[in-house]
Order: sequence, then C-alpha cells, then structure tokens
Amino acid sequence: MTEIIVDNEKKKMKFRGTLGDLLYKLKVRREEVVIKLNGKIAPETREIKANDKVEIIKVVFGG
Amino acid sequence: MVTKNKSNNICSCGKNATIFLHYANRLLCETHFIEMFDKRVGRTIREFGMLKKGDKVAVGLSGGKDSCVLLHSLAQINMPIKLVAITIDEGIKGYRNNTLKTAKRECEKLGIEHVVYSFKETAGKTMDDIANQKNEIPCSYCGVIRRYMLNKAAKETGANKLATGHNVDDIAQTLLMNIMRNEPSRIWRNSDNENFVKRIKPLVRTPEREIAIYAMLKGIKLDRADCPYAHFAFRSHVRKLLNETEERYPGTKFKVVNSFFEMTNSNIMEQTIGKYGKKKNTGKMSKCKTCNQPGSEDMCMFCKMKKNIS
Repeated sequence: MTEIIVDNEKKKMKFRGTLGDLLYKLKVRREEVVIKLNGKIAPETREIKANDKVEIIKVVFGG
Repeated sequence: MVTKNKSNNICSCGKNATIFLHYANRLLCETHFIEMFDKRVGRTIREFGMLKKGDKVAVGLSGGKDSCVLLHSLAQINMPIKLVAITIDEGIKGYRNNTLKTAKRECEKLGIEHVVYSFKETAGKTMDDIANQKNEIPCSYCGVIRRYMLNKAAKETGANKLATGHNVDDIAQTLLMNIMRNEPSRIWRNSDNENFVKRIKPLVRTPEREIAIYAMLKGIKLDRADCPYAHFAFRSHVRKLLNETEERYPGTKFKVVNSFFEMTNSNIMEQTIGKYGKKKNTGKMSKCKTCNQPGSEDMCMFCKMKKNIS
C-alpha cells in the first residue's frame, strides 16, 4: 500500500505507475504542486513502489 | 495524461533527479536545478539591463514564495546594490498576517531593511473593510491600491528601482486576461515615466512551480494559504486554463511570454492596436491633480477608489 498525503490529508491506496500518473488519477494539476517521494522532492517521472510515501503539496495559490 | 517513466530518473551528473523540466525534456538533480535557476535569474537581469552598480532596489515583499525567492536571488547577486524590502499589508485576516511573519523572518535572515505600509493608513480602510462595503470584485481595488502604495513607498525609501516577483505564469496570465477582455492597450500600459520608480521583474523567465521548488530546497518556509478573495478573480480561471494547457503542451507559458517580448520589440503593437488604442487607453501618463502621483487622467485610479470607499 502506498501512503499518500494530499495537502495534509492522509490516505492509503494501492497504486501502480508514476507520480505523474497518480496526479492524473487524483485530478491534481501538475503545474500547481510539488511532489515529495519518501520525504524528497521528486520528478513526476518516478515510478511508485510498494510502501512508498507520497506527499503532494499545493504550491500555487490565488492572491 | 500518462507520464512516461524515464527509465533512470537521474541527472546527467549521475545523481537522483529532483525535477523533470517537461518543456526542455531534461532531468535535474538538486544541485544542477539550483545552478540552472540562479543562472537564469542572472541572465534575465542582464538581458533586460535591470540593474546597475549603485542601484537602490526596493523589493516588493509580500512574504509569498515568489517575493521571498526574489529577495534571496537579489541578495546573492554579485553586484554592489542596496536592497530594501517593502511589504504592503492589505489587512486581510487569516492571510496576510502569516505572510507578514515570513517577510519579516526572511529580511532578518538576510539582514535587509524591511518597511511595512498598510492599506488602513494610506487608503483609510483595510481590504476586509472594502470587501464588506463594496458589492464588487475586491481584487480590482486591491491591485490598484497595492500598486499605488508600492510605487509611493519605493520613492519614500529613496529607491531607484522597484523589483517585483512576477514570474512566467503571472505574465502569461496577465497577457491572456488583457486579450480576453479586449483590452490589448493595457498590455503595453506605459509605466516608464519619471513619476514611477522603474520596475524590474527578475523572475520573468522563471515558472512559478520552479520558484516553489527552489524555495523548498533553500529552506524558505512557504505559507500554504489562498487569498480569501482570489476566487472572485478572473485570474484564477485563466491560471487553471494555462496550467492545463501547459500540461498538455509543455512550454506554452514561455511561448506566450516570448510572443509578448517579440511584439514589444517590433512595431506589431502599433500595427495591431494603434487605431483602437487611440480610442481607448493609449497608455499616456500624467500627474494626478489630487495626490500628485502618476495617473492616466486628472484623477488617478487610487484617488477615485479612495473617494469611492470613503
């Protein structure tokens, strides 16, 4: 199971694919977030492995 | 859209990549990303001749990621310039209070003089007061008052340049918004006037997401908050549109901004909007008869708005 945190909200799910695929599944716009994989900023091209921890941080705000 | 798994996910130096630049089809590690980022800011400053030795630069510092990164970039530039940071406190509860703390902290960290001006003192009302009072989109008030105050504050600090953290995304959004509103003359609105402190935008070639990554890598704390009035703004809609397009067609934002620079450097502007520009806003600047600050009519927008909300 992959632990996914989207803007401080935690969930666990089975997922196979890249971080970019995960953003697509979650309907999150790539241009508006930074992704951390196991605590380190990672490119969307990285493959997610079992037991990975993914954090999706919104960085583009209105204002 | 399916993202290809780049088989190695490593930078050309052999280290694990931190970022994939879709528009350049390039993977970069932390070190090479920071190096690329700093070089690009330096190149932008040289390209537009933004700085000279001895300049006193006022930095518009909201405390958000763009202005904080701008402050860090200017603080490390290899040129004898003086910096002063200016924060405009609009008076938006639960939003500006946090970024004000960030602004103060980053100035202390870098040893840069920091001055704060408030809407309440200058316009007589906070942004929250204005939003409660007016049944209109608050962002138009906020934008006019903030720009007016930044220019006035920069003059008061004795700065000859005013640097803002506008990035590729901001500029591309503004261009599209002006076109979608059929206000092309606003694109080239003239702020090159002796009454305006000369504006510079060193991040004009840098995408917003890369600024966020740079800030995180440099240990600049990001405040995760939306302005409560942002959803009113047309800009939010255009931002979403552009970000979706960029994902499908990487490099779109750069292309929009480059089109602007190309048009500015040629006479396409006069050819395409000249005859309409004469009827609408020609971008000509004079002085406001009320406050003596620059404006395009006898009374500047700030004074009109101040009158309207008092």
